[in-house]
Amino acid sequence: MGHRTGVSGNADDGIELNGWPGSPHEATRYILGHLPECDPVEDFPRQTERPVHGEDAPVLLPPDVIEGEFFRAIHVADPRTARGTSGFAGFLDGTQDVRVVNQSHGIPIVWATVSAAIRARVNRRLVAWTGRPPIVSRRYYIPFRYVDGLHSEFRSHPQVIDTAREDASGKVPSRHPAALMEAAVQRVQQDRESIELELAEAWCASETATLFVDGSITGSRLVSESTRAVGIVKSHRRLYADGDAFRTLVGLRAGERSSIFRVAPRSRYPVASWYVRMRSATGRDALFGLVRVEAAIAGDLQARADEISRWIMAEGSPLALPDARWDKMAYGIRDTEEFLRAIS
Amino acid sequence: MSEPLGRVVATERKPNTPHEFHFWTSLDCPVGIGTIVRVDGSHPVDGHIPHIYGIVVEGFSYTDLQSPMHDVLGHDGSPANAGFGVTERSEIRLYTAAVLRQIPEEPLQPVPMGEVFLAGEEDVAAALRMDAYLKEGAHTGIPIGVYRAGATDSVIWLDADFLLGPEAAHLNISGMSGLATKTSAVEWLLSSVFTHFPESKGSIAAVCFNVKGPDLCYLDQPASRLEDSDRALYEKMGVKPAPFQKVEYFAPYNAKGFSLNTLRSNEALLHNVTPLTWGLKEVLQYAEVLLNKDDLDAKADALIDFIGERVVNCRMEKEGPLSRDHTVQTFADLEAWFRDLLQGMERLNNESWRTHHIATIRKVRNRLSNISTRCAGLVTDTADVSDLPFGSFEDRAVYVVDVASLEEDAQDLIFARIVSRLREHLERRDLGVKHLIVFVDELNKYAPGDAQDTYVRKMLLDIAERGRYLGLVLFSAQQFRSQVHRRVVGNSATALYGRMDGDELATPGYSVLSPATRTKLATLEKGQLMVRHPHFTQPIFVRFPRPAVLSGREGAERYPQAVDVGIEAALYRSLRPLDPEITLAWAKNMAALYDEDELIAARNATTLARPDNARAFFQSRLKKIIPVETANGKEKASAPLRPLPVGDPYEP
Repeated sequence: MGHRTGVSGNADDGIELNGWPGSPHEATRYILGHLPECDPVEDFPRQTERPVHGEDAPVLLPPDVIEGEFFRAIHVADPRTARGTSGFAGFLDGTQDVRVVNQSHGIPIVWATVSAAIRARVNRRLVAWTGRPPIVSRRYYIPFRYVDGLHSEFRSHPQVIDTAREDASGKVPSRHPAALMEAAVQRVQQDRESIELELAEAWCASETATLFVDGSITGSRLVSESTRAVGIVKSHRRLYADGDAFRTLVGLRAGERSSIFRVAPRSRYPVASWYVRMRSATGRDALFGLVRVEAAIAGDLQARADEISRWIMAEGSPLALPDARWDKMAYGIRDTEEFLRAIS
Repeated sequence: MSEPLGRVVATERKPNTPHEFHFWTSLDCPVGIGTIVRVDGSHPVDGHIPHIYGIVVEGFSYTDLQSPMHDVLGHDGSPANAGFGVTERSEIRLYTAAVLRQIPEEPLQPVPMGEVFLAGEEDVAAALRMDAYLKEGAHTGIPIGVYRAGATDSVIWLDADFLLGPEAAHLNISGMSGLATKTSAVEWLLSSVFTHFPESKGSIAAVCFNVKGPDLCYLDQPASRLEDSDRALYEKMGVKPAPFQKVEYFAPYNAKGFSLNTLRSNEALLHNVTPLTWGLKEVLQYAEVLLNKDDLDAKADALIDFIGERVVNCRMEKEGPLSRDHTVQTFADLEAWFRDLLQGMERLNNESWRTHHIATIRKVRNRLSNISTRCAGLVTDTADVSDLPFGSFEDRAVYVVDVASLEEDAQDLIFARIVSRLREHLERRDLGVKHLIVFVDELNKYAPGDAQDTYVRKMLLDIAERGRYLGLVLFSAQQFRSQVHRRVVGNSATALYGRMDGDELATPGYSVLSPATRTKLATLEKGQLMVRHPHFTQPIFVRFPRPAVLSGREGAERYPQAVDVGIEAALYRSLRPLDPEITLAWAKNMAALYDEDELIAARNATTLARPDNARAFFQSRLKKIIPVETANGKEKASAPLRPLPVGDPYEP
């Protein structure tokens, strides 16, 4: 890592990365020098799907409506004529690739690549943002307490993460391999979000145009309070609509948005949020073409929500096919994912 | 160092090889089919960073769309909506290049990954191995055109040793008619050869056969218009944009024999037009050109050989069936000899004469006697001969033989005899020049691939296969290369292609070209050519300037062909350039006194001899006529009888 022109490692690393593995195969061989008793895992099973976790179970939450008195549908654009204008000047996305490359007496040795990049739009074409190069980070995720014989210098390497530390409540993951995998994947997700927010903050600090962030922006105070970043959430494990609001939400038609409500997750920063139906869901499932938008609570929110909703509608073309989430995905995000796949 | 314009890419499905590689560029990159590029490898091989030169032979463009249906869905089925998309799909320009050269040449390896650069002038010279023959002191380059790509403007040189011998030789041009390819290209190339052919290699001249229209009739006249871009090309290639300085035209007379059978018959241009007339001796040697296989069996061939060796220009004394002595010098003499011989054989009831059967003699008489009719204007009944200046050819001169208006037989005869004579003189090293280019258009007709063998085709094959050892170089042209005999085009080391017809490009001969190169060939602009040359491992596209000579079409408009005239005007036109004091009235007077055949014979002899006193020479060739004297309208009295001699024994 770090050898590719225009790609940086994690800003916090501050270490010499020469010789650090750049692929799962290299990672398998590399750790044998530091943990001789581990066994290589041959077909490198990928762990890209987020494991079902207690906190991530699907849930309906009552929306804290801050636009009007009740949750309603608001027409913002005719889907047939909404194309053509968008104020988004950049697209931020991150990817993660988690592999079990070795095992030591049944304990998974995880090696993961996380990456994030911003693609700026210049003359209708997407190019790498010159404000900050893309970030690619490759790390081992190892539960130190369950692995014997790990060399001390390897343990202290900043690119080697202990996934079995005590949490704030003093709990540690069990030795169960699935629990250890969950812990590793969770840590990889944190790392990924961290580099995504690092780039988002850099954008907000230097640019004047709006950034399309794939996912939530509540993890960073700077980003969540900036009008230069808008988060678009495609997954709906938490639906901010119960009761009548739920019926309103699933009844949204293409070109409509919901009322604005306030979202303030625990340990995160509050933002204004609303739903937008990008495409008609007739004949589809209830969440088809539905995204949740997060924006800073600032200025004329209602007008901004209308404008941003129209921008999101416009970003529906060109289609992000063949991605399975094409109904909710902006083409700029698909382009960023392809870009990250190419460089990481 | 210039910016790279692309990067080499290779995948398992599309790997690079020692002869082909792939690279991508930005969308606005000035790369296209035919562009020459250089790859700089990133890892040294044997201590040297490899440099690979290639020419783009194929291009691909695609987006990240997996199905066209996705684009339809994305724009709600309306093409009009597509223009309003806020983002354009990611798009790639991917090119395939054929390797021209690898440096170092050994070990020959697949093309490595690396940056791709547009080839500059030095790169082009290296890529095409031109550096080998453009060295100081050993420069044998002949510019053929300019290669252009991006900011590169590079002269492409052919190697004279491979264009004009002795290493390889001959040039073949293919292209659609009417698109300024074949004739223009050869006119330009002759200018270039005459300018750049190394002095050390000796003298050079060209004989061009004008086989259609007025194409080559105005090589000594300046072009009516030459664009600045053309002048720039001439300057870059070091060729003077001027017509040829030394041009001689040759054309036979028309059937009546009054005027020359050429489109260059305008009086203003007749100063360097010479009649082409041959007699019995010149024609008999090539009789087989005019006789088909049925005519020319072994017996007839033997008799013709006998006539050529023992009859023509020999004295045949009265013996056997011959009733008198014969000295056969003309077709008329030959006919008289035949008549006398056959009458004698019939009289003596002989079936054969000197082993030749009477039927064979009759047949040969029949076939030979009508040659002067079939080739009227070229073949004369007299012994006067007007020919190309074999033996005194001049350096850098062009000799144009206009056969455009002639019958096929006459064209074949002219071609066969002239080329044979050229070859004979070159073998003896007494032509006057060391190298000679022969240009023949419409090779489809003269050396077809699928027709029966002809004398002309055999001659063309002979030039193509053995000419380079003699300094005899064939520049040939045709519309359909696929229809020309394979050995003729195969022996042409250098080949030029202008815009080609799609059907022609579909023939197997073009299968070595990539589809994109074939497409480019089918859409070439005027003034563009694709060049194949022994030093170039791949065909190269070049631009060449408009010829600096008057085009045939414009020339025909500016110098209209002289109208067919009577014998008086024909005499006046032919002889006045030799003697400006000759008047039309004088010519009319001559026409009134003598018959046409006699006048034409005298005219031919005069124009051939080009005497100081043309009028006197002309009149000396005519029979003396003593006009009848009259005195005051009275009949002249009879002369008195002579007186009887003195002492006449018969005196009554």
